[in-house]
Amino acid sequence: MKRSRYIAQKVGWALLTILFVITLNFFLFRVLPGDPARAGVRDPRLTREAVEAIRVRFGLDKPVINCFQSLNPMETGDCFINPLDTQFFIYVGNLLQGELGISYHTNRPVADMLMEMLWNTLLLIGLGQILAIVLGMSLGVLAAWKARTAVDHGALLFSLTAWSLPTFWLGIILLFIGSSYWGLPIGGRLTPGTVYNTSIERWLDIGNHLILPTLTYTIVFLGEYMLIMRSTLLDVLSEDYILTAKAKGISTFQILKDHALRNAMLPMVTIIALNLGFTVTGAIQIETVFSWPGLGGAIFTAVNRRDYPMLQGAFLLIAISVIFANLAADLFYSYLDPRVEDS
Amino acid sequence: MKRHYLILCALLLLLLAACGGSQPTTPADSGDTGSSSQTVTTPAAEAAGPVIVRVGWGGSPDTLNPGTAVLAEAYTIFELVYDSMYQLQPDGSYTLELAESVDVSADGTVYTYTLRDGITFHDGERLTASDVAFSYNLYASQEDFPFLPIYTSYFDSVEAPDDKTVVLTLTEAIPNIESQLIYLYVLPEHIWADVPDAAEFENTAMIGSGPFKMKEYRQNEFVSLDAVKDHYLKGPQIDGAVFQTFDNPDALVQALKTGQVDMITEMPNTAVAALRNDANVQVVSGPPLSPSVTDIIFNVVTPENCPPDDGICTGHPALQDRNVRLALAHATDKQNIIDVVLLGLGAPGLTLIPDSLGDFYNDQIQDYEFDIALANQILDDAGYVDSNNDGVRETPDGRDLIFRLNWPSDSVDSPRMAELLAGNWGQIGVRTEQQSLDPDTLTSICCPAFDFDIILWGWGSDPDPSFLLSVMTTDEITTGTNETGYSNPEYDELFVQQATTLDDAQRIAIIHRMQEIAHHDIPYIIPYYAQEVQAFRLDRFRGWLTDAGKVALEDPSSLLVIEPVNR
Repeated sequence: MKRSRYIAQKVGWALLTILFVITLNFFLFRVLPGDPARAGVRDPRLTREAVEAIRVRFGLDKPVINCFQSLNPMETGDCFINPLDTQFFIYVGNLLQGELGISYHTNRPVADMLMEMLWNTLLLIGLGQILAIVLGMSLGVLAAWKARTAVDHGALLFSLTAWSLPTFWLGIILLFIGSSYWGLPIGGRLTPGTVYNTSIERWLDIGNHLILPTLTYTIVFLGEYMLIMRSTLLDVLSEDYILTAKAKGISTFQILKDHALRNAMLPMVTIIALNLGFTVTGAIQIETVFSWPGLGGAIFTAVNRRDYPMLQGAFLLIAISVIFANLAADLFYSYLDPRVEDS
Repeated sequence: MKRHYLILCALLLLLLAACGGSQPTTPADSGDTGSSSQTVTTPAAEAAGPVIVRVGWGGSPDTLNPGTAVLAEAYTIFELVYDSMYQLQPDGSYTLELAESVDVSADGTVYTYTLRDGITFHDGERLTASDVAFSYNLYASQEDFPFLPIYTSYFDSVEAPDDKTVVLTLTEAIPNIESQLIYLYVLPEHIWADVPDAAEFENTAMIGSGPFKMKEYRQNEFVSLDAVKDHYLKGPQIDGAVFQTFDNPDALVQALKTGQVDMITEMPNTAVAALRNDANVQVVSGPPLSPSVTDIIFNVVTPENCPPDDGICTGHPALQDRNVRLALAHATDKQNIIDVVLLGLGAPGLTLIPDSLGDFYNDQIQDYEFDIALANQILDDAGYVDSNNDGVRETPDGRDLIFRLNWPSDSVDSPRMAELLAGNWGQIGVRTEQQSLDPDTLTSICCPAFDFDIILWGWGSDPDPSFLLSVMTTDEITTGTNETGYSNPEYDELFVQQATTLDDAQRIAIIHRMQEIAHHDIPYIIPYYAQEVQAFRLDRFRGWLTDAGKVALEDPSSLLVIEPVNR
């Protein structure tokens, strides 16, 4: 009973936050300076008629919402118009149908573009996260187990260095080494112009392109996981019940596996969930260095080109994924440590 | 208790499995890379597969729809996949493309084109005069196409009396019909006539009649084209071309060095020296095929010319005095700016009409030489002295010569140039307040608001100079195209004359005279004309057009003639 109420409460808050984000997302872009109709095609040769045609095409000629013709500059308008014919409700209505609008820059549906890039980003970042989590945690456990030995110091030094490396710098260095000495592809996701006989060949090509960016991502994130795993595990290992377990003659491996790790997992879950939430934003730096066609790079371009529909869609996607990752962390937390439901 | 443990364990196992799952691909991949590194060391051409030239660039077409495209990358692909009535050659001349001949009426308003025989679209359909008429009428009638209506503004009617004849009637005789038609690509009527909204059409199949046809397009990844070997003009010597996007300029250069691409269309100037030392690479530099110019804009709008609706006109009054602008021009070390900002890869600028405009560019103008003493003398003589000894001169009525200096925040070169200008101008008692602005904000203070003193910006243009010339006419002050507010009746008069002078030599003479006037009046200082820098590998293809005056290796003029080295 208590559990289901806890879950309902968490899910309710998540949905409320999403609603808030949808509203904020709309108004945020309307108060920014500059005219999106001109920003899409920045050329003074654009005639007034052409600008007007663009405004009509993207619905920018309609009032933002009842009583407001536009928000920048603040311009009041008629309050007694059909609310369904305002930009805000058209936006909400389209959202409900899964439509995110048409990109100003490419003239393509934003939902299609985001979908394509979401998969690319998930592939790169997902793989990198999994490797970083597994390697980082293993290294952290090893370091805590062999605390204050050469192994511990070595692992600590490696992780601190990896964590403090600037991502783009590491990326460029790996790119130069990888392309010069190992013949790895420099950028992109596929070798352009290749005819693939089977889908296995295609995946091998993608895998080949993935090696360098994934390696960069793993090295950068591995350090964080290792350091947190090591320090929390060291805390747990100094607890009295661990001493008791030792006194009972349980092997070190058993102590780690059965008694220490589970308690040490709590902060890890939080960090992993937070990182997974931001996974969707992609790693702008890595995607740029390796020309990986993912969301991070797309958001960067959209900001530069003031591509509002694209930005709106991307921000919504990020917000929703962060909210869901947090929800997942909350729920998983309550599994690991039932005490959180009480508080 | 036990259950929780199991879940955790299962999660860890899953992670491990996922990790293990990814492991086998790695050895297989490194085997694969072994072979690809071999293709790097041994030049490919002897391979049995198709001969494909791989081009690396920093951008990607914004759309494949010729009606709504903005970016230069899109136009590069259009040039290869579509045909138009004329083709611009790298030496600045025009040749007929779709038509074998043209007949112009005595009054210069009716152009009758006879199309070549045997032109087909990539889907096998014949290209006829009605496709041409359909396309031109589409461009003229679509308000949603942002740029193309400009090129059709002189069109009165376009008709196709039979399959091979196109009759284009203009509202008045113009001297530059070629430059009006080169970007009006001929589209297949049998496809575009059925498109409900031409501005929303993605055009991914991209059926054209050009020497290359669309094979695969992935936005921000690559464009892959197949050669049309039996094209009605000379078909390409290669089997295809791919254009790969590199978001990172260093990666682009590295791709050329390691042989992952055969040619790059752009590079940071910092990479040029290293590439020049590479025995396998040739670097080409020169004026770009698409004219572009960087300018230092002075706000010289007079109170009577201040746009009544949008004008704020807060420019520093001293800038309206030619003596001040002349002193600034003499105090601007253009060669130093070129050496520092462009690492030497540019030519000193004269007026808005750049050297890449060929014959239209007046290279006879004697520029104001860099002479700080002379500049100081000019200001002294004109009554601008530093009476309070704070290092800044004042106008005769006591206002400091402190100018606001702005530039767009997305410009890489402007901050460095602004710093150099501040140093130069500081030596003649002129101070600048520097600030970079987001391009939209800059547009809003620029013009027609005239709420600035000096802006660093630039223009791109057609191969015909009429647009760049119009930027300095009085008529364009209210539209915001005239960014200086410059107004000179003699110049305006000559602008009208050149627009109706049909004789090339006469028109060029008028245009040269206009440049002399603009150079004398100094509404702008043009610091430099930047060069296009491209590079290609010597071990893959030969025949790149490098001595045509302008540099555009991605242009059909190169891609149609290059051939593999080992064949």
